[in-house]
Amino acid sequence: MKILVIEDDTVTAAYIADGLRQEGHSVDVVENGLDGLMQASHSGYDVLVIDRMLPGLDGLSLAKTLRGAKNRTPLLLLTALGGVDDRIEGLNSGADDYLVKPFAFGELSARINALGRRPQLADQDQSLRAGDLEMDRLTRKVTRAGEVIDLLPREYALLEHLLRRRGRVQTRTMLLEAVWDIHFDPQTNVVESHISRLRAKVDKPFASELIVTVRGAGYRIDAT
Amino acid sequence: MIARFQATVMRSTPLRLTGLLVILFVASILISLGIAYLLLKSSIDEDIQSQMVEEFASFRLIADQNDLEERIAQEAAAAAPQTMIITYQADGGQSIGNVAPMVVFPVTSIVKGALVQTPQAAASYLVQSSRIGQGTLTLGFSRQQVTELGEVFWLVFLISPLVTLGFAGAIGLWVARAARNRVEAIRSTLADLTAGHLEARVPISNNGPDDLNQISQSVNRMAAAQAAAVASLRQISSDIAHDLKTPIQRVAVLLERLENSGGLSDLHQDLVSAARRQTDQISRIFQSLLQIAQLEGGSNHDHFTQLDLHRLAASIVEVYETTAEDSGHDLRLICEGTGPFTIFGEPNLLGQVLANLIENALRHTQTGSRIEVVVKHVGPQSALIVHDNGPGIPAWERQNVLRRLYRLERSRTSEGSGLGLSMVAAICDLHGAKLLFDDAGPGLVVTVTFSNSLPS
Repeated sequence: MKILVIEDDTVTAAYIADGLRQEGHSVDVVENGLDGLMQASHSGYDVLVIDRMLPGLDGLSLAKTLRGAKNRTPLLLLTALGGVDDRIEGLNSGADDYLVKPFAFGELSARINALGRRPQLADQDQSLRAGDLEMDRLTRKVTRAGEVIDLLPREYALLEHLLRRRGRVQTRTMLLEAVWDIHFDPQTNVVESHISRLRAKVDKPFASELIVTVRGAGYRIDAT
Repeated sequence: MIARFQATVMRSTPLRLTGLLVILFVASILISLGIAYLLLKSSIDEDIQSQMVEEFASFRLIADQNDLEERIAQEAAAAAPQTMIITYQADGGQSIGNVAPMVVFPVTSIVKGALVQTPQAAASYLVQSSRIGQGTLTLGFSRQQVTELGEVFWLVFLISPLVTLGFAGAIGLWVARAARNRVEAIRSTLADLTAGHLEARVPISNNGPDDLNQISQSVNRMAAAQAAAVASLRQISSDIAHDLKTPIQRVAVLLERLENSGGLSDLHQDLVSAARRQTDQISRIFQSLLQIAQLEGGSNHDHFTQLDLHRLAASIVEVYETTAEDSGHDLRLICEGTGPFTIFGEPNLLGQVLANLIENALRHTQTGSRIEVVVKHVGPQSALIVHDNGPGIPAWERQNVLRRLYRLERSRTSEGSGLGLSMVAAICDLHGAKLLFDDAGPGLVVTVTFSNSLPS
């Protein structure tokens, strides 16, 4: 993907850019809000990563200006402020996602991938597959290698979320937001424990593991 | 209704002052009327008395007893008993006069008309007896004037307070209402300010620089200062957040690079991991402090919506069910009474309240403990209760646990930042909800009671 990073802190900017390049993306870095606006409006980027506090033009105004000009490029806002009001303000300005500093690279990368491939979501498919696992979204029946697996509603939702995003890492916070609609950081390992329940039903009784733990980032079901 | 009216009057200073003023005014009128009445009465009585002295003197001039009795008989015949009574008791026993003989009044006395035996008696008389010739003459002068004066004064007594009350009351009420409306405007503005609507201002009336306008201006100046302080707090928080988080982010970045650089020994790998966990902890504590500061700085209620407390509790409890099972806790949701349990609030913040309370209970109770989340009605309000049978919080520590970064001695070594309950308190405050810690004997019971309307 072609990604524009607008971030004034050179260390953070270089870190983001290096990491994304290693993943095979093409990355441009701009350190000033106004330059960022120019760059973002003219070159066709797949994803914009914008720091909220920027010299020249702040991230919120930048996002609003872009959206006002009918620029629909997916936009991730990086911010030092993590309050509820700040998050809502950020999303209201037109940002598609919001990440509070400090963040791990895995989190950023997972979110960028989610944004960049938004339209490719397997939304219409009635049945979702991964390996020998099959999920029928109409009857809500899940089978693996022909065996029916009984899932609780939330386990089903978690599995469906991962299946619909096959091949893409989903972080703890992304899962909390999407599956449980929780936008704060629980201190305990709620996601881990739900995943382990799901694994006990979906993976344990079978030969191979479908749900992969990506160290320092999150979970993924591989597309096969 | 009368009680309510009374309460309104007693609460409103202008109305109370008006009432007091009217009472004082009426009392002073009544007192001056009373004094005037007494003065006039005694002056009339004096007149009558001097008339009587003259009359006695004129009788005394007559030396001959027969002439005297004749003269008395003449006068008695001429005088109407309403204006004057005359009786003469001669020592021989015979009596003359225009009324029946009376007892002797050695000093001037006031006698009620009823004691004088005549159908045409006046209301009262000034009576005196005196030795004249060979007998005792008793003269009584009607105090009709005094009686009439009394009647007139009674009338004035009754009417003047009514008139005064009417006038003073009407004017007073009008003034008081005007004042009360302005006081009410100040009061409601202060209430708005307290509730976090920092743009609220008292309208300044065009009465010039009177006392209420001065107070209004002071309130407005205070509000402006508060708004500026909140704005600067926000600015400072956001500056600090940015300036501190950038270096924290850099440290996190450097540690992550170090970890991924490869070639680290297991020991070094462990150290780097520990350092990364600490960075996470720093940023988490920092994040919480920042959020508490923002909440306490009077965040607005823009994102508040109507929501059902039971549904909110169910979703959060569900999130923690597996964690509780893993740690051997019995976490359950109990709904007492029938819903809906409608409250106003920010769903994320309220979710965080319950999450913090559940995490607290999970962290501070032993395996096998029971944690109950109860949703119920308390009168017209809805309450959220988290109840465990763990060690509880000693009574003397209950206020302390709301302090930022405070931790009980026994939990120093456990996880947690000491900010969870301060966050809970700040969020409850923002929602106008009452937070109460109590002994569940054994265990801790935390009750959050929500008001059933939007915090004003």
